[in-house]
Amino acid sequence: MIIHDVICPFCGCLCDDLELECEGGKIIKVQNGCALAESTFMTDTRLPAPIRRTESGWEEISYNEAIKETAEILQGADRPLLYGWSSTHGEAQSVGVHIAELIGAVIDNTSTVCHGPSILAIQEVGHPGCTLGQVKNRADVIIYWGCNPIEAHPRHMSRYTTYATGFFVPDAQRERTVIVVDTRRTDTAGIADEFVQIEHGGDYAVLSALRAIVRGKASVIPAKVAGVSKEQLIRIAEICKTAKFGAIFFGLGLTMSRGKYKNIRNAIELTDELNRHTKFVISPLRGHGNVYGSNEVFTWMTGYPFAVDFARGIAFYNPGETTAVDILRRGECDAALIVASDPGANFPRAAAAHLAKIPTVVIDPHVNATTALARIHIPCTAAGIDAAGTAYRMDGVPIRLKKVIDRGYPDDAEILKKIYDRLNGGKGP
Amino acid sequence: MRVILESKVRAKPNLPIEAEAIIPRNFLKGTDLLVYEGNKERTLSELFWIFVEGTAVSPENIEVILKGDTSRIKRVGEYMDTGSIVIEGDIGMHCGNFMSGGTIEIRGNADSWLGREMRGGTILCRGNASHYCATGYRGEKKGMQGGKVEVFGSTGDFCAEYLAGGTVHIHGSAGDFPGVEMRGGELIIEGDATRPCGNMKSGSCVILGTVHDMLPTFEKTRQRVLPEWKITADVYKGDVANRGKGTLCVRS
Repeated sequence: MIIHDVICPFCGCLCDDLELECEGGKIIKVQNGCALAESTFMTDTRLPAPIRRTESGWEEISYNEAIKETAEILQGADRPLLYGWSSTHGEAQSVGVHIAELIGAVIDNTSTVCHGPSILAIQEVGHPGCTLGQVKNRADVIIYWGCNPIEAHPRHMSRYTTYATGFFVPDAQRERTVIVVDTRRTDTAGIADEFVQIEHGGDYAVLSALRAIVRGKASVIPAKVAGVSKEQLIRIAEICKTAKFGAIFFGLGLTMSRGKYKNIRNAIELTDELNRHTKFVISPLRGHGNVYGSNEVFTWMTGYPFAVDFARGIAFYNPGETTAVDILRRGECDAALIVASDPGANFPRAAAAHLAKIPTVVIDPHVNATTALARIHIPCTAAGIDAAGTAYRMDGVPIRLKKVIDRGYPDDAEILKKIYDRLNGGKGP
Repeated sequence: MRVILESKVRAKPNLPIEAEAIIPRNFLKGTDLLVYEGNKERTLSELFWIFVEGTAVSPENIEVILKGDTSRIKRVGEYMDTGSIVIEGDIGMHCGNFMSGGTIEIRGNADSWLGREMRGGTILCRGNASHYCATGYRGEKKGMQGGKVEVFGSTGDFCAEYLAGGTVHIHGSAGDFPGVEMRGGELIIEGDATRPCGNMKSGSCVILGTVHDMLPTFEKTRQRVLPEWKITADVYKGDVANRGKGTLCVRS
């Protein structure tokens, strides 16, 4: 059986044109997808049933037993942490927020270690952005800053930028100018019309210099800024100012390097400055398939996009204080529920080490590095493969993930609802 | 009147305590106050040994002294308007939030957000202060607006971010981006600083030590003798990326 228009749930691009060939409850072929999509649909390392750590190893337990024990762990905690959420659908995320509010937990999503700084910058100066469709049809100057879409978002360039034929850019490859800014010559830099190689941690200075040049204050700028020559900066500023429509995409090279959200703020203010000359937009290249959705769900439910602390019954947000990494590093939390993510592999060592010290429960379709730190692992459906639900693309467009096969696992939203019911004395959210 | 609060030994010492109730004015009516430990509400006496010496008829005569392990206690002195608080050891985050009067003295180190959105009064920190010393809240357009914060040690990153009024005096060094987004007030750093005053709009900053990674968007105007510091300083205007009219003085 061939299923058309399948959405790939892997990265923030949420490509919606995949074709899957299924046979006997198994996916046997993926077409139109990138290598990451193929691996997402074809590999499966799911456990047959929930497991619990014992002194001598792991033992299989029933779903009911796993849910009961998880509820007991959360109920008894003084500062529980609910983390993850970015690889599952909005329906499960919303139950997570209900649980957090009920038990006075801290709920955080993976933005905390990826584009959290982008959100902080947007809260300071706003977000001049647009949908990817606009970029595809209009943009003639594309800037990739601190990101490597060829490896991380392989179809971003062919679907929306460099190689995509747009309504107002019919000859995309010739008409679009691509500028890549990075600390090293990546694969994406190889196809750039202009490659700007900056010194590590020099992003803020280069962005400030560009803003000054666009404002006509080039005379202040020294001959070299963070390894970039003044001539090149003036040339880049000129390309941007004469563009019909420019789009800046940035990745973790900007958000997670020295200066963090101040880098993004500076990039947004450069975009703002360029809008005095032409149309310019800026957007983050989001990683997890539904990380944007977790920000959306958290925001409509609590008012804040990530790192929400319900310890006092009301939502409090302060990244640096209520973010998962900081709470773990300070050894504050005494129980953790990890859903649809892998902090064991991605968090700093001290934070991951604390997860191993406290009762940690993982609800994730796949066995991952966090399983090795956990007390209980509950396998569930994978959103977009054997569960349907809502996800948000990196530009904020909601897309319905399809259920393409059935493997007989319970949906993570169902598992979370049962945990909520137990915590709330049988009453659902 | 003196109120001495000595922290009791806790089963989970890492759990944060939120104690915005600890301000001198509140002790006028007694010590029956509520604080939060993690997600549980507790009475002050559950977490502290409380000793009261003397009496007071007005809050400005009340001195609160915190002893023992106070490094995880947040929001001490929040909305404080008079009186004094002395912390004998380290203090947790958000000490002196929105403070408008009175004095807080910290004999140890202070955690992040010391004197956040402060309006008046004085904070003295004898040790080091962590990140976001004398700043604002996330996304807020104004940080500290008045009063004085004096840190005798060093501070972490983003010290005096969005400073809009008052004086911040750091005797040691500041981390990355001190005075970033500054729009008023005065920042003095006696030690070193990295990338000071990024995107500043107004206000003045004096740095007596070494500046690392000076931003390219500051315009050197002239040299000036600063008699109070006995130095000659280069005077920069900026941040020109931002039409800024701030002053940054760096030892020549």
